[in-house]
Amino acid sequence: MNNESLSPDLAQSYDRRGLFRIGGLTVATAVVVAACGKSEAGTLGRIGEGGTTPVLDDPILNDGVLMRTMAGIEISIANAYTHILDVGFLSQRSATLPDLGDQAGLVTSFRDQHLIAADSFNAMGIVVGALPWTCGNRRLDEAYLTPIFLRIEQGVAATDSAKKIEPSDDPARDCINLVHALESLSSESCQALVPVVTDPVIRFLAMQLGVRTARQAALVALKIYPGGYVAVAEPVVSSEPGTTVVEVATTIAATNAAPPPTAIPLPLAIPGQYGLLAPVTYVGGAGDENGVRLKLNFETPSLNSFAYPFNSCA
Amino acid sequence: MDIEVTESGVHAAPSAPRGRVGRRALLGAGVGGAALSLLPFLSGGADASATTGDSTTTSSTTPPQRPTDSDVTLLAFAQQIELTAQALYDEAIAHGGWSDEQLVVLVAIREAHQAYAQSLSGLLGRQAPGQMSLPLFESLRSGFNVSAEGALAAAYAFESAAVATHLVVLAKLQGTDAAALLASIFSNEARYGTVLADLAGQTDEATLLVFEESAALTVQG
Repeated sequence: MNNESLSPDLAQSYDRRGLFRIGGLTVATAVVVAACGKSEAGTLGRIGEGGTTPVLDDPILNDGVLMRTMAGIEISIANAYTHILDVGFLSQRSATLPDLGDQAGLVTSFRDQHLIAADSFNAMGIVVGALPWTCGNRRLDEAYLTPIFLRIEQGVAATDSAKKIEPSDDPARDCINLVHALESLSSESCQALVPVVTDPVIRFLAMQLGVRTARQAALVALKIYPGGYVAVAEPVVSSEPGTTVVEVATTIAATNAAPPPTAIPLPLAIPGQYGLLAPVTYVGGAGDENGVRLKLNFETPSLNSFAYPFNSCA
Repeated sequence: MDIEVTESGVHAAPSAPRGRVGRRALLGAGVGGAALSLLPFLSGGADASATTGDSTTTSSTTPPQRPTDSDVTLLAFAQQIELTAQALYDEAIAHGGWSDEQLVVLVAIREAHQAYAQSLSGLLGRQAPGQMSLPLFESLRSGFNVSAEGALAAAYAFESAAVATHLVVLAKLQGTDAAALLASIFSNEARYGTVLADLAGQTDEATLLVFEESAALTVQG
């Protein structure tokens, strides 16, 4: 049986040496804490003062913003048509679409109609208290139209990692396809406006203009692809009947030939049973070293393309 | 010996110490809560409207999503037009004399009108009329029951009238669901006019783009 007592140990822990130990430990801890603490002396100076956090304007979305945005879209389309007409590509013969003919007159009338549409949207915008938008839509211009025109007219310069891309192999084809894409975009944008605006009068105006551009899109589709009325279920026909994709790839590898360029889809006059709101795909320009052409999806206006009250044309 | 008991419900009566702390604390908490609830009023921000510091925030009434009572009447009218269109195209197709290309287009348009009527049914539910307008059908039937050329011209005029009618309806609709559906319907019906004109061999730009829209339709019965 053990009958241990704790009292000798306790007495030992409070002896003189123990107190020295505790004191030493306290001093060491204080030194460490002081070393880690912020020191006023010797602080490195800095040059200049950083700005305060910018306060962003409210991205208010109302009928006025939507009207300004639509006016910008219509002006961008009209500007694009002016550019197409100025460079004269539509009057050239298309190797891909030999039956296309000169569509400059048609596109001229479309351009005038889009300018009228822009005025109508601006007039409605003024009615709902917004300032008119008198220039093109920046997002549409910068992210879509400018790159497309550069690709068609100049191609892409060579870089360290990629070969040069030549200008378009068929500018007339690329321009008329762009006209179709822009007419479809205008029509879809008008339709997309309907459930978003609050005033039925604006819906009426938007669809009055949307109906017109829907017909224009259908007409351009028929100019590009005569007889392409509706989608008909047809088997996909290869350029070489009976040739599989693997065989084509093997042939290209064996002969070291350039791969075929991206196929350009033919538009239909009636692309769906209902008015579509899907992105409008544009494929154009010459193919790169892998045969890949420029491919962009035009989409109806959204948060990054609205003409907010704090945006201006200046 | 203290035994702590934690009970819930009616048995969870405050113990003596809680009672001592409670009365004054509760009063204080009550006053504090009342002050907090009054803060918006005191600071002048009690207005429920979504106004911000910027004067450009125009708060407008949000339109209803579902069709209103008056919308139902208008949508029923639109559905009758679509069902009438389907019946008219049935007449034209049954009459015959079409090329394969023309037939494919006519069948596609006929099926589209049927789909439009069905989607309007989906929106209207049991209030959907579900039948065509017989007087309208009878007034237009003779135009569709002729040669291919004549039927194409009648269909062209009908599609233009349908677009004009739906535009008028759209201007009166309040519900956004119905407005969106109707817009998607007649956006495509506008294309039918161009297609039918092209199918009929028209080359005039004004005709192909339907510069002269037909008068809006009226439905009786």
